Amino acid sequence: MGYTTYVYLTLFLGITFLLYTVFPKKYKWTVLLGASYLYYVAASRLWLIVFILMTSITVYIGAIWIDNINELFQCVKKVLDREQKKAFKEKLLWQKKMVVGLMLLINLGTLAFLKYYNFFAEVLNIAIFDHFYASIPALKLFLPLGISFYTLQAISYVIDVYRGKYKADRCFGRVALFLAFFPTIVEGPIARYDQVAQQLYEGHSYNYVNLTQGAQLILWGMFKKLVIADRANMLVNHVFDDYLNYSGLSVVIAIVFYTIQLYTEFSGCMDIVRGSAQIFSINLPENFKQPFFSKSINEFWQRWHMTLGSWLRDYVFYSVSLSSFFKKFNRYAREHFNEYFAKLLPATTALFFVWICNGLWHGASIKYVMYGMYYYIIMVIGMFMEPVFNKIMNSLHIKKEAKCFKLFQILRTVLIVNIGMLIFRADTLSSAWHMFFSCFHNFQFDWSIVGNLGIDIQDVYAIILGTIVVFVVGIIKEKGIHIRETVANWNIVFRWTFYIISLFIVIIFGAYGRGYDIASLIYAQF
Amino acid sequence: MEELLDILNGLKPGVDFENEKNLIEDRILDSLDVMNLTVELNDEFDIEITPLDILPENFKSVEAMYALITRLQDEG
Repeated sequence: MGYTTYVYLTLFLGITFLLYTVFPKKYKWTVLLGASYLYYVAASRLWLIVFILMTSITVYIGAIWIDNINELFQCVKKVLDREQKKAFKEKLLWQKKMVVGLMLLINLGTLAFLKYYNFFAEVLNIAIFDHFYASIPALKLFLPLGISFYTLQAISYVIDVYRGKYKADRCFGRVALFLAFFPTIVEGPIARYDQVAQQLYEGHSYNYVNLTQGAQLILWGMFKKLVIADRANMLVNHVFDDYLNYSGLSVVIAIVFYTIQLYTEFSGCMDIVRGSAQIFSINLPENFKQPFFSKSINEFWQRWHMTLGSWLRDYVFYSVSLSSFFKKFNRYAREHFNEYFAKLLPATTALFFVWICNGLWHGASIKYVMYGMYYYIIMVIGMFMEPVFNKIMNSLHIKKEAKCFKLFQILRTVLIVNIGMLIFRADTLSSAWHMFFSCFHNFQFDWSIVGNLGIDIQDVYAIILGTIVVFVVGIIKEKGIHIRETVANWNIVFRWTFYIISLFIVIIFGAYGRGYDIASLIYAQF
Repeated sequence: MEELLDILNGLKPGVDFENEKNLIEDRILDSLDVMNLTVELNDEFDIEITPLDILPENFKSVEAMYALITRLQDEG
């Protein structure tokens, strides 16, 4: 049951909303929890619910366990002297680390086994076992729906309790709902417990503004997904599946259209997800903030899939860079290298872990590892070469604040991201390599070739027009204008004319019917 | 405060740290800068900044950083 299907949008969301509205405030959360598990079963398999239940139960118990250790220290510390207190604190810290380790072993271990077993078995077979005429057998494994998303949420909850950010939740229903909330289960956003758990649990009364604004957001997401992404999907599949027969402008168009497809599909899905939550007056974190206006790759990743980026920053980057081992490494770097290297070496080393995790999170294959490494290498080059770039800019009298330079930076980022998207979409690393070089073969500005890319020329124009609309909306948002609030203040006639026209645009221009595929969500497979 | 300003100027020369009040939101300091800063502050002021302390409000200005250092010194 995809988020763009009528079954979800009318029946599922409609009935859940009605039940949520009529239920007493105290029990509204049970409607969301019931709907979330029902959605999980409908979109997945019944028995796979075991995995999300296991994660919910283990992190619920684990967090309380950590909390009890904290409370024990608070009770006992008054009767201990300074030395005893220190020794006892260290002992309890070790116990807390054991509990977190156990939680990671169970939950991250399950994710790692189901998602990466076959990948690592293949790597080990090629690297070691093939030489001894032996092999680790491949297993047929199911990947439970949303496991990459809810596992990260579960880990963030346990680590935050361990770090003392908040206390463990004694209400199992709230933890279970936080992990399984139906709009977020397929593609995120990767929400934090303190951002959403209480919002989900406390009952919200019917709110007209949230209902209409949520519906608008869903409609906007449908526009991006059905009008743009699903059309672009056909062209992209056509070229990428038969890439040996294409070169020059055709390949460039396919790569650019894939970038458009992935952005409009993923951000469109996030709009549907956030809109679905908003109709219940629940505010989910944003995942995109006009990423194609970024002036650097660093900024791009602060605007693209933001909840994954911030998760990796808080739980990988800071965990690594503030660990005791890393502190020693930092001191070593400062004692043995000059100031410049001593500053960059630890930072770039910590970043390596972030990008290897980013690559592997996206999928269990060398291609995704290289996808992460691609961005890592670009960032490291940028960091080490910064003084050189500054000197070049000074000698050429280029001002960083100049609009032309900012435009150059944006176009440079777009180019780098498109190459990254090629690695991401191509079947293998070698096919990505082949396609990259084929861009330069037979390159001619001959627009008539778009007729040979698997879709009608009218569809190409629809994609371009739709992308322009998304671009203009992006500019308006960048200027800090809240479009939905502006529309809400219009005269009732203009407002409803706008709503109805928008709805018909999605219905008429959405890619349905014979010859069209309703493309499955790309990020759902992660 | 002087010591803190010296560290900040060494880390990111050319920034008006005394008057900038939105170092994080304005993207003057990114996560890598904060990491390097954390390491230096830990050593210089003999404190232990944990991931929990790494919040925009603790690094948004020199005053906020000074308040964090003072708090951690008192707790330690």
